[in-house]
Amino acid sequence: MAMIGKTTNAANEKGRAHTPVLRKMRHQLAVASSDPVIAIGLVLAAVFALLILAPVISILVNVAIVQIGDAARTRAPEGAWTAYYLTRAFASRMSGILLWQPLLNTASVAIGAIVISMSVGGLLAWLVNRTELPGRGWFSTALIIPFMLPTWTLALAWTTIFKNRTVGGQPGWLENLGFATPDWLAYGRLPMIIILSLHYAPFVILILGSALQRFDAQLEDSARILGASRRRVAFQIVLPLMRPALLSCCLLILADCIGEFAVPYVLGLPVGFDTLSTSLYRAISTRQTGMAAVMAAVIMVIGVLTLYIDTRMMREARRFAIVGGKGAMDRRRSLGRWQMPATGLALAFVAVGVVIPLLTLFLSTIMRVPGRFTPENFTFDYWIGSDLGTVALRNGILLTPEFWSAGLNTLIIIGAASLASGVLGLLVGYVVIRSRFAALGNFLRQITFMPYLVPGIAFAAAILTLFAVPRGPIPALYGTSIILMLALIADQMPFASRSGIAAMAQLGKEPEEAARIAGAGWLRRMTGIVMPIQKRALASAILLPFISGIKGVSLFIILAVPATDVLTTYSLRLVDYNYTQAANAVVLMIALLALFGTILINRLTGNGIAKGLES
Amino acid sequence: MPDITLTNVAKNYAGHGSAAVEDLSLTIADGEFMCLLGPSGCGKTTTLRMIAGLEHLSGGEIAIGGRIVDSLSAAVFVPPEQRRLGLVFQSYALWPHMTVERNIDFGLRLRKLPEAERRAKANDVMEKLRIRDYAARYPAQLSGGQQQRVALARMLAVNPDILLLDEPLSNLDAALRLEMRAELRRLHEEFRTTIVFVTHDQWEAMTLATTIAVMNGGRLQQVGAPDDIYSRPVNRFVAEFIGNPPINMIALGGNPVADGLAARLGSKLDLADAASIGIRPEEIAFAAGDNAVPLGMLRLESIMPTGGSWIVELSLGSERLFHATHSRPTVKPGDTVACFARAEGLHRFDINQQRIETTEIRAASAAKPAGADRSALLPA
Repeated sequence: MAMIGKTTNAANEKGRAHTPVLRKMRHQLAVASSDPVIAIGLVLAAVFALLILAPVISILVNVAIVQIGDAARTRAPEGAWTAYYLTRAFASRMSGILLWQPLLNTASVAIGAIVISMSVGGLLAWLVNRTELPGRGWFSTALIIPFMLPTWTLALAWTTIFKNRTVGGQPGWLENLGFATPDWLAYGRLPMIIILSLHYAPFVILILGSALQRFDAQLEDSARILGASRRRVAFQIVLPLMRPALLSCCLLILADCIGEFAVPYVLGLPVGFDTLSTSLYRAISTRQTGMAAVMAAVIMVIGVLTLYIDTRMMREARRFAIVGGKGAMDRRRSLGRWQMPATGLALAFVAVGVVIPLLTLFLSTIMRVPGRFTPENFTFDYWIGSDLGTVALRNGILLTPEFWSAGLNTLIIIGAASLASGVLGLLVGYVVIRSRFAALGNFLRQITFMPYLVPGIAFAAAILTLFAVPRGPIPALYGTSIILMLALIADQMPFASRSGIAAMAQLGKEPEEAARIAGAGWLRRMTGIVMPIQKRALASAILLPFISGIKGVSLFIILAVPATDVLTTYSLRLVDYNYTQAANAVVLMIALLALFGTILINRLTGNGIAKGLES
Repeated sequence: MPDITLTNVAKNYAGHGSAAVEDLSLTIADGEFMCLLGPSGCGKTTTLRMIAGLEHLSGGEIAIGGRIVDSLSAAVFVPPEQRRLGLVFQSYALWPHMTVERNIDFGLRLRKLPEAERRAKANDVMEKLRIRDYAARYPAQLSGGQQQRVALARMLAVNPDILLLDEPLSNLDAALRLEMRAELRRLHEEFRTTIVFVTHDQWEAMTLATTIAVMNGGRLQQVGAPDDIYSRPVNRFVAEFIGNPPINMIALGGNPVADGLAARLGSKLDLADAASIGIRPEEIAFAAGDNAVPLGMLRLESIMPTGGSWIVELSLGSERLFHATHSRPTVKPGDTVACFARAEGLHRFDINQQRIETTEIRAASAAKPAGADRSALLPA
């Protein structure tokens, strides 16, 4: 029979006092040892401290320490503290060239890209989601494609058409057709703004589109019933509620533009139009470690500020949490006489963002002389020909062993790194969601997000300085594929961990608890319950980093050596040596790989492009 | 066979000011159908999870079958996978990537039983719970009631000595709930397992449990048979929590209406220490029966039919009283009626909200002038 133990409060107090601290700790230990989540968390924390925190700290320290070979200039011994680099960057005769001009360039490009992509993307999002635009279903996928293509694909297509005599090598199509393209059209600010706008407009469509879709139509209906006009509803109900999404969109584009390296590398470097990331690259490639650290730190600070503002605003936005109510929005208005122009705009966007760049790249690979559209000028030699009579690269790209070894490298290096970051991301999610100690979870959450704030180039440089020489038990890694993998893993952790956390949060702890009750140990639970349930999330957490790894340039340009060339660095080497056709052929293949890979992921996860890219 | 003994069990969550469970001592005997009942946040689920081992204690001790499974003073913690009990979750927590049969087979596999025996056991339990036909389906293809039975089958297959149920019926619709309740009773009789059942639904607790433990604010309030809990609530919380429509609770003293009522009740009851008095809605009657005390002339405000029974809203000055009856009321809203209550149906509580137990009924002395007992009504 049941009974209540007759214990008074006093007896209870005594009972507690009788449990000494040591016993409590032993009890905690018994609890902890039954569940390896904390042990795993500690191992992960150690791994990421080495892989992420150490490089970031080394960047920050290098800002204020005399670097090798700078003793004479700084009048201080190597390794001593110095303000030399900071002064040089911010307050010397050189700072205009070193910092302010690149900063101004970066800012103008970023702002231009934000303004254009927000207006074009916003308009297209509205057309696709709220109007009876013909072919909406098709457009909703087609308009997103530029976001799946690497930015520098567009940049290379641009140079293929607009390149002029300012830079050597094969001229652009327009030049060959007799139109001299001015520098401002061929290189620098304007093309960069256009290309980044083309790339980020789909991102705006995705974010605004999903916000529009989640918008509770009842909110609109209530206003209409109270007698508000359509315009009033749009400006006083819809727009204010969309504001958090709009602002967040702006800030994310800003953060991405500041870190953007590949586009300025292709379009800015030839004419000395420096952005923060290309001046960082210059500093690294001329071995000015101290200045490189300052540039990297500046980019990091801007990134941190942007994200800080974004999180602050997101917190604010929680007050508007009703967005996302039940009422699905399917209110479309007919376009009337605007139907043709609207369809034309959407079609034009697809043409400029997808069709023309890809077609240009493809045509450029089968033309001997750029821009000459006569039958005898076309050839497949650059793909499959042999004995082309060139200095190097005497065979078509598909018959060149370096191409295949770069392809194999890509598969092995990026594949292994993606696999590792997918699994690590899931484990981070596991620890963050399950750990009894909030501090451990928070640490992992924040440290894995850190690489997002560090530009890829700076991160690669830091990894290089850290791991190029033997340190403790770790041998020198320079020139190995391991250093590339480490950098890639770290670089992918922000995405991998966030998707891991989201997946684990969604899973909840009950399926695993049910397995515990059934008698399953930890390994059994992971392999038999958690991983199989999460297999879709895991697949996309592996595939998405793989795709973004294939597209990525900045990490590899620092860390890859010819022996560890991947497709991107191989294509850039070809660009540098002016094998334009071959380079474009490789770029085209990367672009198509990225495109179909992303589509494959969508099929696999079945949750639409929007979700996959948003996270 | 195992008893579950909880001794001075406490649970604090880091960062939360108040304890989730405080100084809880409770013994659940072998074969018992124990119900932990209380409002949400009262610590009942936490208690269940501590028994399962999914939460560890912050103080006290839990023993199952004499073996200490979690104790601070002994610094012992046995993880859930070694406690050999069954737990059915509120969400059922079926593994979505396994068929019904694989879900049931999982635990049997872990016990390393030979294939033939596993199959026989799985078939047997699926038969008993009438889910044989769905063996090859995935959980997402089942209805709520079927999922619930699979969740039960999964636990029963390994034949645990103790079965823990965390609000397993709350996600079902009313008809299914009734059916599953009957099924649970049947299972309890058939498998003879000890069942600990968590619910916030008093109706469920009343119909299923052999013993109910009422909890509130992390503390145990009362343990007893369902009938005991209903007819002899130890304090105001239990009285007000159990019963639908809820008990009519009248604070004594302070206002003339309550004073007048107290004077009338005082004729039959000793209200010396009583600070409040509770009257169950079904104990109110419009005619004086045996041992009835007059409540006075009450105004009938409204009648709410609930299908087969009626809830009648009465007013006495500012006090609102509810009366529940199974016979169609013959009075109309606006009427004033003489109301009575059985003396045994009146529950008195002192200023600490504890039950006043002595129930000696005074000889009728209706002649006593109203207001004479007034001083006795005021809290000491």
